[in-house]
Amino acid sequence: MAIAGGTLARARSAGEESHAVAIVARPDLPVDNLSFAELRRVMLGDRQYWTRNLKVTLLVRAPGAHERDVVLKTIYQMSEAQFRQYWIAKVFRAEATSAPRIVYSNEMATELVAQIPGAVAFVDAAQVPKDLKILKIDGRLPGQPGYPLH
Amino acid sequence: MPTVGGPETAAPQYPFLKISGFGDVDFSATDLQAPAAHFQAQTLLTDHSGFELGQTTLHLISALSPKVSFFGEVTFTARSDAGTGTPPAPGFNLEVERLIIRYDFNDYFKLSFGRYHTPINYWNTAYHHGQWLQTSISRPEMVQFGGSFIPVHFIGALGQGEIPAGGLNLNYDVGVGNGRGDVISRGGDAGDINNNRAWLVNTYILPNWAYGLQLGGSVYRDELNPLGLAPAQEWIESAHVVWSKETPEVIAEFANVSHQPSNGGPVANSQAWYVQTAYRLPWFGKLFKPYYRLEQIHVPHSDYIFQNFVPTFTGSTSGVRYDFSSFAAFKLEYRYYWRRDAPNFYGAFSQIAFTF
Repeated sequence: MAIAGGTLARARSAGEESHAVAIVARPDLPVDNLSFAELRRVMLGDRQYWTRNLKVTLLVRAPGAHERDVVLKTIYQMSEAQFRQYWIAKVFRAEATSAPRIVYSNEMATELVAQIPGAVAFVDAAQVPKDLKILKIDGRLPGQPGYPLH
Repeated sequence: MPTVGGPETAAPQYPFLKISGFGDVDFSATDLQAPAAHFQAQTLLTDHSGFELGQTTLHLISALSPKVSFFGEVTFTARSDAGTGTPPAPGFNLEVERLIIRYDFNDYFKLSFGRYHTPINYWNTAYHHGQWLQTSISRPEMVQFGGSFIPVHFIGALGQGEIPAGGLNLNYDVGVGNGRGDVISRGGDAGDINNNRAWLVNTYILPNWAYGLQLGGSVYRDELNPLGLAPAQEWIESAHVVWSKETPEVIAEFANVSHQPSNGGPVANSQAWYVQTAYRLPWFGKLFKPYYRLEQIHVPHSDYIFQNFVPTFTGSTSGVRYDFSSFAAFKLEYRYYWRRDAPNFYGAFSQIAFTF
């Protein structure tokens, strides 16, 4: 079930300040929910296709961004140095043609997600535009108990 | 770090060629009184101390379309006979180490053709020619470049993919191609040495329940026609277990190579293994990673294929890696070798390895 950005406010409890990080995608992405294990496979570049003809494009915030810190700590469990080396090695092993694309702001992330079929980005859950959808992780949205990215 | 498409354009560009590289500069000093027979040049076991320019490696990647990609790797290696002979030998050898064109049907099946590092061994396909990528200065001797124990290169076709398999994340490679050439340390780049194709099956799992763990094994089969020796059937079985986190990092591999004369006769089994462990220290900015490796190769005298090419020894390596920059590292090592057929020896080694 697709969840648009405007629905997120109702999913969060009133008055809650959230630093949760949301995974956003175009509404036409044929995936609405990922298990955490599956999300990790996508982020590690082990899963590179959503469907046979729709390739995954990863957009990751530049170093220093809170969203990047959350992704590195929670999903990759890597330091900056380990993350760099991981992707250099991944490409060198011919397992991927490129590392995740770096974006420098949430606005840039959401603009590129809207333009690139198959792209996903990690943005502040409070800054998701209405025209993008938020992917659930293990059936949970940002702000719900058990949501892992914060 | 590798990135896609330079300027902030949404549309991917094809083809998009990116070139990156690796290099290293080494120093070695041992108590060897003569060259260490059957060890390869990149193990740095010379009988006089000095600096050595390591391999300069260029890596070329180009996405030709959303589903077709090209990977290439070329190296430049200093020659010890540079300037000698008529005409004078050049200073460096150029090698095409890998040349791969791949079509991705989906995540479960990708088909490629070209020259590979034979996927029957973890180290061979994890680190390739990138010294900066690996923790230690040199590779385990069983997979050393120029060595003969494992066929380092493979020319042919490879089917590969990853299947979720209930959270096991089962990866596989199935290949067929030219096996070893008449020089058994090299692949059949200019054609197969006989009418028998080599084939291989490699599988490994990356289970969800143990993020960082890799367990795998492989089988390889070839018929050899080595220069000056009787033809032989070759079977290689190998297994590996890897914990790829840095606190600790553990890599362990074992391989058995069987040779049997093609016209019948006893089978000779040669075996090799290593265990390497490292730990990223939490102090000093997490820049230091000490490591230790124990390795062994045993070639029985009955293995007429390997006996003049592969050393029998046990080696102990201890060292430390210092990442003084994001893309460059300094490594220091001490090694001791016990040899079956020659005196033991020791050595100290250093390396600056980098990527660009």
